[in-house]
Amino acid sequence: MNRLKIISGHLSPAGSTDHERDLWGSTCGSGPAGSSGPEDVVVVHGLRTATGRAKRGSFKNTTPDELLSAVMTAVLKDIGLSPNQLGDVCVGNVLQPGAGALMARVSQFLSGFPETVPVYTVNRQCSSGLQALFNIAGAIRSGSIDLGLACGVESMSLRAMGNPGDLSSRLVDIDKARDCIIPMGITSENVAERFGVSREKQDAFALGSHQKAARAQSAGRFREEIVPVTVTMVDDRGEDRAVTVEEDEGVRPGTTLEGLAKLRPVFKPDGSTTAGNSSQVSDGAAALLIGRRAAVKALGLPVLGVLRASAVVGVPPDVMGIGPAVAIPAALEQAGLSVADVDVFEINEAFSSQAVYCVEKLGIPPEKVNPNGGAIALGHPLGCTGARQVVTLLHELRRRGRRAYGVVSMCIGTGMGAAAVFEHPGP
Amino acid sequence: MKVFRSPARHGYAVEASPFVPSRSACAASQFYGLTGCGSLLVLDQTETDVCLVTSWEWSDGLFDVAWSETNEHVLVAGGGDGSLQLWDTANHSAPLRVAKEHTQEVYSVDWSQTRGENLIVSGSWDQTVKVWDPALSRSLATLRGHEGVIYSTIWSPHIPGCFASASGDGTLRVWDLKAAACRLAIPAHSAEILSCDWCKYDQFSPFSRSVLASCSYDFTVSSLHRLVGRRFSRASD
Repeated sequence: MNRLKIISGHLSPAGSTDHERDLWGSTCGSGPAGSSGPEDVVVVHGLRTATGRAKRGSFKNTTPDELLSAVMTAVLKDIGLSPNQLGDVCVGNVLQPGAGALMARVSQFLSGFPETVPVYTVNRQCSSGLQALFNIAGAIRSGSIDLGLACGVESMSLRAMGNPGDLSSRLVDIDKARDCIIPMGITSENVAERFGVSREKQDAFALGSHQKAARAQSAGRFREEIVPVTVTMVDDRGEDRAVTVEEDEGVRPGTTLEGLAKLRPVFKPDGSTTAGNSSQVSDGAAALLIGRRAAVKALGLPVLGVLRASAVVGVPPDVMGIGPAVAIPAALEQAGLSVADVDVFEINEAFSSQAVYCVEKLGIPPEKVNPNGGAIALGHPLGCTGARQVVTLLHELRRRGRRAYGVVSMCIGTGMGAAAVFEHPGP
Repeated sequence: MKVFRSPARHGYAVEASPFVPSRSACAASQFYGLTGCGSLLVLDQTETDVCLVTSWEWSDGLFDVAWSETNEHVLVAGGGDGSLQLWDTANHSAPLRVAKEHTQEVYSVDWSQTRGENLIVSGSWDQTVKVWDPALSRSLATLRGHEGVIYSTIWSPHIPGCFASASGDGTLRVWDLKAAACRLAIPAHSAEILSCDWCKYDQFSPFSRSVLASCSYDFTVSSLHRLVGRRFSRASD
């Protein structure tokens, strides 16, 4: 930071002896954004699998522990770190029994991690992958660990949002409780109606997602963040076939507005939410290595991103899609930043209705939103998404080659929103 | 008070247009100029407020701007990437010309004020001053001598081919373009000198034309007489 050095030099002038040194430099007390300290929580590296189309795609017969194991191994191998150094591993997952706690432990052994490394899972619905990062950051901040893996994985081919568990019959008597079991698609219709997001706007947004993802794919922009995984698929003839998956399967470069307009609403007869303007059901995993800056530096590891703020908020369950519109301002305030200071926003495209609403409500310039496409084109493997967005965001900021801020945010089923602010330090 | 706010951009320099009384240009940078991008803004003052006429983005911070003295549409700006760019308010999209010769930040640009001359001077953190033709085709001279970053380069309003520079090496220097040499090097301050300017009024005394002022991080402002090279007044607070 040569410029900073030159200007800081003003405060300690060489050879100035004839007057009081009543100017001195001190660490700016304004906190997170811009400051750089040994206690910062930093992201060292992150990778993801390609997202497969659930039930029909290449991961349809792959158990989630295999996907998770692939990314965990790859992240550590890329930077040459032994898993012995990990203080903890947290994995976001939604659909597996017990949020995949057993699956995660099996996965670490598939990766050859020693038993001395602990692991657990977290489920905050669609934000689980990001929540895993928050959890590891929290453990670092409280001093209990120095380094950890934050991951997310979901196989929506093998599990569905079926069994809601054991719920009290009283839930029907309390509006908000009952709203929690509204299908997600209906919450999308609620947002579209209540906030006036037209079918045309939703389709246009969906088209944009596919176009941006297609451009990113053909330009090879995802190559450095995707770990190729070789898995077994049962093909149409019922035979096992080995296949190596390295490209996101959901992207449809040939998408047109006319094609999207022809699709019928899925959740309500006179509604606006269709299969084309909703996120896809997918399989995938992602992993990020997180550490305390001092420990990361001591190991000679690079800093890809710095966590500057984390916020989770609650919103009405029946319009859960507005989550980012509340979570993003909360996170920006924590970081002391405004929308104008942020270069890239990764806002999960659960549905076009809610994504469009949030972008417009916050006045975010559209070119800053999901520049490489979002869940409509890339898919939304529930527990994986939050971690996947961080991987894509930080790789994009690194490609741009200068210091910049980025935001990751998503809405959360049952009525919440989460957002995080990251800083990429630049070359 | 009329205010213009530029979101996420911090202003570094303002200059009034020599042709359009209500117009000024502002060089601004992201993140206080420490990193990120920059913007060049052209603003007009009305009865009630300040509005944006046009603006351009640059991939590095912009630290100074100067209007052309011969063409009301043209401006030159100096950037953190060592480049000077020539901009035209009548041609909106891209700069007319970009000249990248300085190897570090260009902190000062000035357009010559004397008749018969049409030149640009730039001062850079690479410790050199460059003089350019008004089309920025290439530098006409590169002047070395300063031992620290240069913060300010200003043409004399009276003496052709003469300009002053202020530097982090604590000296104020006066240069003669024809001789391509430094005529005077005054250790005017004990700390970095951030800014200097010429007295453009020649009515007070025979000496006013050659008076320079400078201000520095040592909390003082100096007025110097060029010919004598000696400080004749020093104000501090």
